[in-house]
Amino acid sequence: MTNMNLYSRGDRLFVIVNMMLIGIFAISTLYPFIYIASLSMSTGFEARAGRVILTPVGFTLEAYIRVLSEPLFWSSYKNTFIYTIGGTLMSLAFIIPGAYALSRPQLIGRRFWNLMVAFTMWFNAGLIPFFLNMRDLGLLDSYFGIIIGFAVNGFNIILLRNFFEGIPRSFEEAARMDGANEFQVLWKVYVPLSKPAIATVALFCIVSRWNGFFWAMVLLQDEEKIPLQVYLRHVIVELSDDEEFANTLLNATYSFETVSAAIIVCSIIPVLLIYPFIQKYFNKGILLGGVKE
Amino acid sequence: MSGVTLEKIVKRYGTATVVHGIDLQVQPKEFVVLVGPSGCGKSTTLRMIAGLEEISDGELRIGDRVMNRVAPKDRDVAMVFQNYALYPHLDVAENIAFGLRIRRVKKDEIARSVTDVAKILGLTDYLQRKPADLSGGQRQRVAMGRAIVRHPAVFLFDEPLSNLDAKLRTQMRAEIKRLHKRLGVTSVYVTHDQVEAMTLADRIVVMRDGRIEQIGAPMELFNHPANTFVAGFIGSPPMNQFEAAVEMEDAGPVAVAHGARIALPALDALKGAQGRKVIVGIRPEHASIEPVGKGSTVSVELDLVETLGSEALLHTSIGDTPFVIKAETGGDTDHLSSVNAFHVPVERIKVFDHETGRVLGSSQMGAAA
Repeated sequence: MTNMNLYSRGDRLFVIVNMMLIGIFAISTLYPFIYIASLSMSTGFEARAGRVILTPVGFTLEAYIRVLSEPLFWSSYKNTFIYTIGGTLMSLAFIIPGAYALSRPQLIGRRFWNLMVAFTMWFNAGLIPFFLNMRDLGLLDSYFGIIIGFAVNGFNIILLRNFFEGIPRSFEEAARMDGANEFQVLWKVYVPLSKPAIATVALFCIVSRWNGFFWAMVLLQDEEKIPLQVYLRHVIVELSDDEEFANTLLNATYSFETVSAAIIVCSIIPVLLIYPFIQKYFNKGILLGGVKE
Repeated sequence: MSGVTLEKIVKRYGTATVVHGIDLQVQPKEFVVLVGPSGCGKSTTLRMIAGLEEISDGELRIGDRVMNRVAPKDRDVAMVFQNYALYPHLDVAENIAFGLRIRRVKKDEIARSVTDVAKILGLTDYLQRKPADLSGGQRQRVAMGRAIVRHPAVFLFDEPLSNLDAKLRTQMRAEIKRLHKRLGVTSVYVTHDQVEAMTLADRIVVMRDGRIEQIGAPMELFNHPANTFVAGFIGSPPMNQFEAAVEMEDAGPVAVAHGARIALPALDALKGAQGRKVIVGIRPEHASIEPVGKGSTVSVELDLVETLGSEALLHTSIGDTPFVIKAETGGDTDHLSSVNAFHVPVERIKVFDHETGRVLGSSQMGAAA
């Protein structure tokens, strides 16, 4: 904690107001997590009645038992892992060499290629043409379609390109004098030097893949291939007017609200588990390109 | 060992020409220093030898091979960079071994080479450290280790000492010199520091605006500068230069400037040069506060005494032209505050053409290239 005595009165007021605002922001971000967790551990009856505010009311894990006994939950969980790991690896396989090429002054037509990549950040073909494109390529209802279809992202390429451009040229020149070819320069010098930037890009990919919902819903019909987020939608949309669920209201151990909340909690856990390990990269990565080191 | 030959080497960026067809022959085992002010094309020339810049025109040979279109890795040259360019993610041993690994040298051979190089450079205790944990001098040594481990035909140095503090620079300079003596590898060294050039070089190449002004051994450049630029660049402090008009006297030509009359050497070029405008050059160390034999005495006004220890720099003026005198202190500077004239032997005086700046020759003292 900074020594407050070193601040003038005005500065002190400023710091206090800042801290209050940050506190409010932190609470407003944290609250939905707490609410969902509490909801998932409350009885269906209390949840329906809207009595859950902060802590679980009528504590029960029935909703989790219901969720975990559902085969579709497990298959969609597995699918989400496949899309996240496969998609992230595929993305990095495209983004790293792409960003490296775009950062090279000797790339022929460099400005043009950079413009083309940036163009995709502002404009895209839109829903129907993209869907038709995927259909004609035979990529509907396939794991590979989801993985390859969203592998390249202009923003991530430009983020990494900016980082590569910030690496002093003499590293590349030294490596070339040492006998390295273009791939060795990238693999043995640029990639190790860019770990924070690559970790950031990887994290962006992981999070967007993990939370990926819309395109998976549009492109996948086969229930065996849907990811967790689409499965969650199934539960919310389809089970809300399900007969069986209506009956469970009577015994009131769980409701579709508590089941949905339990699925959400289950889907958050893996991200919560890996975040502490990549947080340091993430904090660094957000500043990438903004500061010249 | 291979020499390096540059024939009419030109470098253009778009329409701007930064190196104008230079010729240079570096002999095998020779240590050549390219020196000049920033923007003179010395680094560009070095980078063309390295293969990091394309050669716009002319021919580069290393040994007998034409290298214009050969990739840097195939030129058998190694380079030490100004900012060292050590890979921060690798430790000292891995940095030194990098080039050998890339070339798929056998592991035990790499280990042996790294150990040998570390011994030569005094890095044995630091092999497991990362560059960030090393001092500037140690990093510099690692950069050199990375170059020598490959036993290249030619070493290229791009201002390798300019990031070091003065004391370390002197120390590393001596180490580079020692290393060259020991390994005897052809070396091309770029610097803007004339002291480095003087101390390290077998031959110095003075460059300006993409052209070579003069090539010669350090003392040759010091004693016989080809023009006012070289005269001003080599030597510290630089040679005093001022305009004067030539008058012919019975004893020989005399330069007249600001009321002072300075006897000039009897150069062929000054025969019948009555009234000709010239530039007179006198090195600070050749202007003596003690009377000398055959020479002139010039009155000056003392402005400032800079004490360096055993020597002092007297900042004086002849009329309104500044003139620096380097004098021995003899451990005491009191006697220097009363200096009001200097003496200069006639054979120490250089005379340059007023228009071209080229040295006028040739006297019996011998002339510059």
